[in-house]
Amino acid sequence: MTKKKSILSDQRFIVVLVIIVLVAIFSGLSKEFRQYSTILSMLDFSYYDLLMAIGVTFPLITGGVDLSIGTGMVCYALISGTLIRNNGLPVVAAMLLCIVLGLVVGLLNGVLIGVMNLPPFLATLCTCMITRGAGSLCSATPWPALTQEGGWFHSIFKITVGTGRSADRYPLGFLWMILLVILMEFVLFHTKFGRYTIAIGSNKEAAALSGINVKFYHVMVYVVCGLFTGLAAIAYAAVTPTVQPGTGAGLEMDAIGGVFVGGVAASGGYGSVVGTFVGIFVIMLLKTGLPYIGLQANWQQIITGVVLIVAVLIDILKEKKNA
Amino acid sequence: MKVKKLIALGLCAAMVSGMTVSPVLAAEDTAEEADATDETAEDTTEEADAEDAEATEEDAEATDDAAAEEETTEDADAAEEDAEATDDAAASDDPTAQFDGLKANEAYEFPMMVKSFQSTYWDAAQEGMKKAAEELGVTYTAQGPNSESDIADQVNMINTAISSNPVGLGLAACDTSSVLDALQECADKGIPVVTFDTGVDNAPEGSVVCNVATDNAQAGAVAAENMYNAIKDVIANADGQVIIGEVNQDATAQNIQQRGGGFINKMIELLQADGKTVAVTGNEFYVNAAEGADATESDADVIIQVAVPAQTTVELCSTEAQAILSQENCIAIFGSNQVAAEGVIAANSNLNVLGSDPANGDVVGVGFDAGSIIKGAVQDGTFIGAVTQSPLMMGYYAIYALTAAANGQELEDVPTDGYWYDATNMEDEEIAPNLYD
Amino acid sequence: MGEVILTMKDIDKSFPGVHALDHVNFEVKRGEVHALMGENGAGKSTLMKVLTGIYQKDSGSIVYKGKETEFHNTREAQDAGVVIVHQELNMVGDLTVAQNIFIGREPKKGFRIDDKKMIEDSKKLFQDLHIDIDPREKMQNLTVGKQQMCEIAKAISHKAEVIIFDEPSAALTEKEIADLFVIIRDLREKGLGIVYISHRMDEIKVITDRVTVMRDGGYVGTLITKDSTKEDIINMMVGRVIYEDPKEHSMVAPDAPVVLKVEHLNAGKMVQDVSFELRKGEILGFSGLMGAGRTETARALFGADPKQSGKISVRGKDGQLREVTINSPQDAVKYGIGYLSEDRRRYGCVVQKSVTENTTLATMEQFTSGLLINKSKEKKVTEKYIQELATKTPSADQLVVNLSGGNQQKVVIAKWLTRDSDILIFDEPTRGIDVGAKNEIYKLMNRLAAEGKSIIMISSEMTEVLRMSDRIIVMCEGKVTGNIDISEATQEHIMTKATRNIN
Repeated sequence: MTKKKSILSDQRFIVVLVIIVLVAIFSGLSKEFRQYSTILSMLDFSYYDLLMAIGVTFPLITGGVDLSIGTGMVCYALISGTLIRNNGLPVVAAMLLCIVLGLVVGLLNGVLIGVMNLPPFLATLCTCMITRGAGSLCSATPWPALTQEGGWFHSIFKITVGTGRSADRYPLGFLWMILLVILMEFVLFHTKFGRYTIAIGSNKEAAALSGINVKFYHVMVYVVCGLFTGLAAIAYAAVTPTVQPGTGAGLEMDAIGGVFVGGVAASGGYGSVVGTFVGIFVIMLLKTGLPYIGLQANWQQIITGVVLIVAVLIDILKEKKNA
Repeated sequence: MKVKKLIALGLCAAMVSGMTVSPVLAAEDTAEEADATDETAEDTTEEADAEDAEATEEDAEATDDAAAEEETTEDADAAEEDAEATDDAAASDDPTAQFDGLKANEAYEFPMMVKSFQSTYWDAAQEGMKKAAEELGVTYTAQGPNSESDIADQVNMINTAISSNPVGLGLAACDTSSVLDALQECADKGIPVVTFDTGVDNAPEGSVVCNVATDNAQAGAVAAENMYNAIKDVIANADGQVIIGEVNQDATAQNIQQRGGGFINKMIELLQADGKTVAVTGNEFYVNAAEGADATESDADVIIQVAVPAQTTVELCSTEAQAILSQENCIAIFGSNQVAAEGVIAANSNLNVLGSDPANGDVVGVGFDAGSIIKGAVQDGTFIGAVTQSPLMMGYYAIYALTAAANGQELEDVPTDGYWYDATNMEDEEIAPNLYD
Repeated sequence: MGEVILTMKDIDKSFPGVHALDHVNFEVKRGEVHALMGENGAGKSTLMKVLTGIYQKDSGSIVYKGKETEFHNTREAQDAGVVIVHQELNMVGDLTVAQNIFIGREPKKGFRIDDKKMIEDSKKLFQDLHIDIDPREKMQNLTVGKQQMCEIAKAISHKAEVIIFDEPSAALTEKEIADLFVIIRDLREKGLGIVYISHRMDEIKVITDRVTVMRDGGYVGTLITKDSTKEDIINMMVGRVIYEDPKEHSMVAPDAPVVLKVEHLNAGKMVQDVSFELRKGEILGFSGLMGAGRTETARALFGADPKQSGKISVRGKDGQLREVTINSPQDAVKYGIGYLSEDRRRYGCVVQKSVTENTTLATMEQFTSGLLINKSKEKKVTEKYIQELATKTPSADQLVVNLSGGNQQKVVIAKWLTRDSDILIFDEPTRGIDVGAKNEIYKLMNRLAAEGKSIIMISSEMTEVLRMSDRIIVMCEGKVTGNIDISEATQEHIMTKATRNIN
């Protein structure tokens, strides 16, 4: 009855344990894994996954989903990169454009779902296809990149001091990620928007009968997701040499998977951004670590799938226990 | 009903293309089945270089040839056609001679199926098509799916194209086994097909009249030869085992298979000629396809490590490359197409081990194809060089071959070469046009 | 009428805290239609659930076809020939009529379902019943009446000997009811025993042979229908001693202003031309039987469901009664209306969230400065209401799911009080709440009314209505059939209005 909760019942704690175990396994089996450069590379490729995951945490908490984040992210990066090359758009403007595009697609998703009452799966599946196609329209030109003006753009996420050997590189992006996670955790638990997001996921009808403008907040949830997809597009362009047209489908699965590992209830109504943060690192560790211990690609996906099932099962078992 | 179908289709597109587990598995099986024929084809093309006596397979060829001569029309499968074509080409020296003085009898229009619009590679190919079309006074429409893994999309596009009964069809198949039905229909309808970039083994008789493709095994071998020249001394002076890495974006597309295999086989040959023992590890397909490895992982002088990522993204290629490069005794690495080579470059951005001075401990990197990133890496010495195909020539000759076929001319295959380029020859007239951005 | 086919004797059944059936007797003869009547919660459904094996009796005996019997689940009851036709139809709309009738016991031909046989058997069933329905039609394409016929056919196909109709006419049109009665008479001819549960007095007179009346879980008596009058039956239904003091007269000041005026409200089938007034400080009881349209009226008024027409006027802060447009709960909340749903877990509160979060759910803007939630203010206000309403919770952080029903209700009341709503709609305020907590809720409602809040109280409990209301609106089948001042209200009076079939 009382509030005293064992730390063991907090999924985030379990996930941190899993991370520690995974690191121990990989380090034990591969001495190459125990290098600073491994961390650097893992962080490089975690930024956009994490940003997408932070964004999609909100729709998932409402019991919805956003499948358009992966293709959306690549699409925004492609459009901005193409404009840089072909029209000399300044990089700062390109970054803003990524965010604006993200907001627009997020708004579209939100209106389709919150106002027109389309099922989230269907609505975002459609925008997934749309963004994928729109991104590919850029492919008449060479693969674009957001790199034109000197090196400062890449330094947003990784600064290099001195020689450029790995020891002299610092994953600045990680700092931004931590700040964003703290910010969004705060938004989720300390603002009206966050409170209503949870209320919609937990009991939409009760929220509506309490006089909450459910439609508005439902739309906003997807707009926020779109905003983070735009940020993810910037991170994606910053860490990959070029942006390949036609890719992006499937990237959302890593992000959504990470959120579930982090303990968002599969049925909505509960979740945390910190959980998402640790959840993504389980996915990233698997993605990075499995090649180091010599596992072939197909096995990497199988193991990742199994980890996801276990994570969702833990969540369901926990709910059963509570009920 | 229709809506449901649409959704299902969309689902397939979204899921399957993203998470390629099942198609990869499936395709690998067929690839392995087709193994034997692949090897025969490779061998013939490599004949000039390969002096190893591969008695059994040559025997097989001999009987095949004999059979083909006896029953010229029946049972002529693609591998044999390849073999014959190469032989003929060797005889006449220049297979492009068959297009001398070619003129289009009518203003033909050809649908050209590319693998995707994903890569600048295909832009260069279209450039070649454009040039040829202008010269001949014909037109073409280039079509292709979003990404090279959208196999089903491409098959649909091909079927749509066939249904309008074109005078000829240009095809770069994403998946060689998936297009067989469509090719059969072409044969039935009498539509001549010219494959370019990627040949189709076991194509139904009478469908493919000409194959315009890089000799990928040769191109892989070119990469191996140039890499070996740079690391020969390092290997000779090594105290222990050394590692040569290879990153292939997949194990399903025939051109990547042949290229990766060509690199491995040539490298084994060169190493063994200098008295070293070799083992091949990593991706099962390439390990099984390698020929002549004579040692186990534990006691080989040189290990060739082959990595294939779960999805064809730069990111995952990079992770694989990093796992290889972070080993201390890794001395060289080869990225076998644009995605894989960019993955190697991305991995190096954190490790910073690649360079042009192997004697001083730099790891030697070799790329494939072009694009601004790879060209930049070759220019600044991150890669000692790379091999480029000639998509331009492929597109160019594909249009020529189609026009000739539409005129009713009998054709032989047109192989195009892979060229080595490095900081010194990038501006050469012969190379520069193929180095697309 | 033939011999007795089913006898239930001295059936007793208790649930934790409730004596649901208190030594009830009931019997059915072959070739008889036997009505089972009583107010909401009199125990009719419980008795039928005991009969069909959904509940197990605590004591008493069931004799079916001369043998002492106890069914352990509906399947057993079905197999023995005791079948219930539910009010809510249990049909799968996307399947065909035949597929629905034989669902769960499809005839097989090898590994394949034998559709042909299924369709033929269905045809034969319909022929016997003189019903004209194509078994290949999809269920969802049929009218409710036809669907009900299918449900009956399904019951017959189980070789039923006793069929229980649970308010079968509730959703039917006049014509469909007439058709239904033809079938029921036909079944009676064939010697089946039929139990007919309904609130419609007119139907009872027309179709039944005997009436058994239950009240508060007890057996009251059995009458021969043709020898008794409507009034006899109503008297038996309501003849309860009211232990709590009913309100003698209205507590509302004669000059109290009207705060809410609803005129000619129409919303779907369940709300037809509803008009009423609510005055300041008044507790307006809404009485009626299940399905009378009271909750629907409240939801339409609150903007939770769409309405077709009608005029709603609310008294503003300046004392003027003004017409308002309420298209969503947000609008209603804006005009100071709060709605406390009958189904608290589903519509009332977010049970997986804390007391605090629920209390402030409707009034977030009072607790936000800029973008942030002022958590300490939130907690202070919540704790104030916990004290004021005497909510029993270990802390303001407790999850609502862990509170008892009465305390959950108090959390929902607190939610609307923080909103400072002047008009509160209580929908079944004490459902699922134990006796002690009930009294607390009553006191609270009286206090709120005394403080000048106006309350609409929808209640199916006659005692509650008589004890709390200043005035009573009685509804029947979507229409207002009575508007009674408390000084003139009696159980009989209300029940007569509530069972009046306006058609």
